[in-house]
Amino acid sequence: MRTGPNAAADEQSAGGASVAGVGRVAQAEPSVGGRGPLSHRRSASDRRVGLLLLAPAVLALAAVTLFPLAYNLWNSFHVDQLANPSAGNGFSGLQNYRALFNEPGFSADLAHTLFFTAVSVGIEMCLGLAIAVVISKPFKGRGLVRAAILVPWAVPTVVSAMLWKTMVDPQSGFVNYLLGVLHLPGAGIAWSAQTWTSWAVVIVADAWKTTPLVAVILLAGLQTIPGDVYEAAQVDGAGAWRRFRSVTLPLLKPALLVALIFRTLAAFLVFDVVYILTGGGPGSSTETLGYLDWKAFLVNTDFGYGGAVSVSLVVMALVIAFGYTRLVRPSTN
Amino acid sequence: MKTRSKATTSVGKAKRLASAAATLAAVAGTLAVVPGTASASGNVVTIVYATQGLGAEEAATNTAIAGFEKANPGIRVKYLLLSSNTTDALQQLTQDFISGSSTPDVIESDIIYPAQFAKAGWLLPLTKFHPNMNAFFRSIVNTVTYKGQYYGMPWFINAQGLFYRTDLVPTPPKTPQQVVADAQAAMKKDPALKEGLAFEGAKYEGAICVYQDFLGGFGGSLNAANLNTPANVAALQFMHDTIYKYKIAPASVTSWTEANVQDAFDSGQAAFGINWPYLFPLVNAKGSPIAGKVAWIPFPSATGHPAASLGGDDLVINKASQHQAEDWKFIQYLERPQVQAARMITAGDAPAVRAAYTPSLSKAVPYLAQAEKVFAVTSPRPVSPNYPQISLDLQTMLSSVLTNQVSAQKALAQTAPVVQKLFASGNS
Repeated sequence: MRTGPNAAADEQSAGGASVAGVGRVAQAEPSVGGRGPLSHRRSASDRRVGLLLLAPAVLALAAVTLFPLAYNLWNSFHVDQLANPSAGNGFSGLQNYRALFNEPGFSADLAHTLFFTAVSVGIEMCLGLAIAVVISKPFKGRGLVRAAILVPWAVPTVVSAMLWKTMVDPQSGFVNYLLGVLHLPGAGIAWSAQTWTSWAVVIVADAWKTTPLVAVILLAGLQTIPGDVYEAAQVDGAGAWRRFRSVTLPLLKPALLVALIFRTLAAFLVFDVVYILTGGGPGSSTETLGYLDWKAFLVNTDFGYGGAVSVSLVVMALVIAFGYTRLVRPSTN
Repeated sequence: MKTRSKATTSVGKAKRLASAAATLAAVAGTLAVVPGTASASGNVVTIVYATQGLGAEEAATNTAIAGFEKANPGIRVKYLLLSSNTTDALQQLTQDFISGSSTPDVIESDIIYPAQFAKAGWLLPLTKFHPNMNAFFRSIVNTVTYKGQYYGMPWFINAQGLFYRTDLVPTPPKTPQQVVADAQAAMKKDPALKEGLAFEGAKYEGAICVYQDFLGGFGGSLNAANLNTPANVAALQFMHDTIYKYKIAPASVTSWTEANVQDAFDSGQAAFGINWPYLFPLVNAKGSPIAGKVAWIPFPSATGHPAASLGGDDLVINKASQHQAEDWKFIQYLERPQVQAARMITAGDAPAVRAAYTPSLSKAVPYLAQAEKVFAVTSPRPVSPNYPQISLDLQTMLSSVLTNQVSAQKALAQTAPVVQKLFASGNS
């Protein structure tokens, strides 16, 4: 669910950050390949054509990413309360940021966000890797399975969250019905009445939707690993587990990192699943920073404060992306 | 093989292109008649009316629009459907207002929003039309008043009260404690009952309304300037105790909305249910297991002053509207007693105009006599431009108490100062 122009902008700018991170990883390779001299021979007119061809994309990116980001940054240092026009639009310095760090729920929301990110991304990476390994092996109907696996990813998050909400409805939900039929405990459980069950629903719904993305990225990574490496390992007497640990995992590292960056940034900015499934409840126990941002923009209609929340979110996302690129650097050198 | 498939795709592509072009043309056609852009084609002025409601409500709206257009040949009304979830509808409207759009012209607004819209400068003050506010129920006039000016007209009134099963509860309870005793007795008597009392306790606006009903039961009130009172603590404690101490409500009410309460009560699995009067036609419909066995009262009060949460909607005019005179004409038509009565009969929305309550309406709507008694004790939620924020804080407070995370006393002590501050800054 897009919560407004600014929230969308944040997501995009965060995405932009992750792309920059990936770009750096990819850049490292050609320099090893020794294609440098070719680029020196490129003529000036070629370069001009190149720039010209790039211009539309750069302009489009600037319009949808750079401008909103700059606008938000500007807003975050000014007063901009839509519901209170008499407050004016003056420069407010760091006041919006101070208000954010003094917000009683801020540290709890940050903790919830980190918790959600760690657990959901952890589950998605493990499941995604398992699925990728299975569907990379040849078997009958593999094409169909590969296509089917992507279906949850194609469903808009709002729709899949509504779906899960109906599934865990205590009165008419399928989950409680199934538990009852199988005589399992929990048939009478009200999922959104407790903190841990609420989190469980949110995380399951998120994992159901995004594990396929991880699986597809990792599948692509698996297919770049040449078969003879495995043959060589087998000749050396490595068993299946050893081959997975010592061959697959290290060679899959770039793909794993790409999936990790995508998922971490998206999970860190989570809003839609939480908004629909729990509304941040019970109490405020599943509120995330994305939820706080929604509240600032759309409930308080305070674009100055909302700007401060989004800018802080972008900075934190950048820090995470930077951390991941640091992780990958030693292996390319 | 390859070339053939290519040829078919290119034909397919051409077809798709053609259909895309047709769609585009259709869209362009629709855009051309969107009012406000081309304000008047000929002598006809088109106004956009943003409203909620599906099914019977939509039918009632269409009838009203047709009647208005017939009476005013120079004005066309275009109907724009808002989300039926009041918070989502608010977000839709807020985005229109922020963009400065001149449409929608006339807007159906939940009674909790006009103050906010007025403060933001998005609504047309109606003082210049000299509206007669004495025609309406007093409590709902408060909801369109901001700093002494009127920013909207009450449209229909709604109230939340206590439904009960006359076959299980022979005499209506007089105090909250009696509700508990009656519910427990009914659950003992009828093992088919799953709930003694069903209410909406999810983290959303509805829970605040239930709390308001309970507040009346203990002599409290949802006064944003003074929330942390012993009576308010007692009411909140009672709300919590219905689940954990008296065990007349299941823990799942903490995720229930109106629809869940309706399901529970309609299917005959609850002795009491807190809900809005829209339930009446449903429980008395053919095939209902509880037809003819339902009565409705304000939630009983130990102090003799019950309160019913006021719901309902107002009609407001967008300040940027290009057709304010026509907008006002349309509102006046919707406020006619006979138009209001017609809406009550088809859609169950009770008139805000007192003159609409005629003997003939009572005849057409058998439950009206009971409903009027609940309407008489309605009390509005805090009227403040900051209500959306106040509401979210109250929702969080109620949810954390109902899920046993914080004690009633502590929750009110924490929330009251925040709400008080928001309320004070909204009126400054």
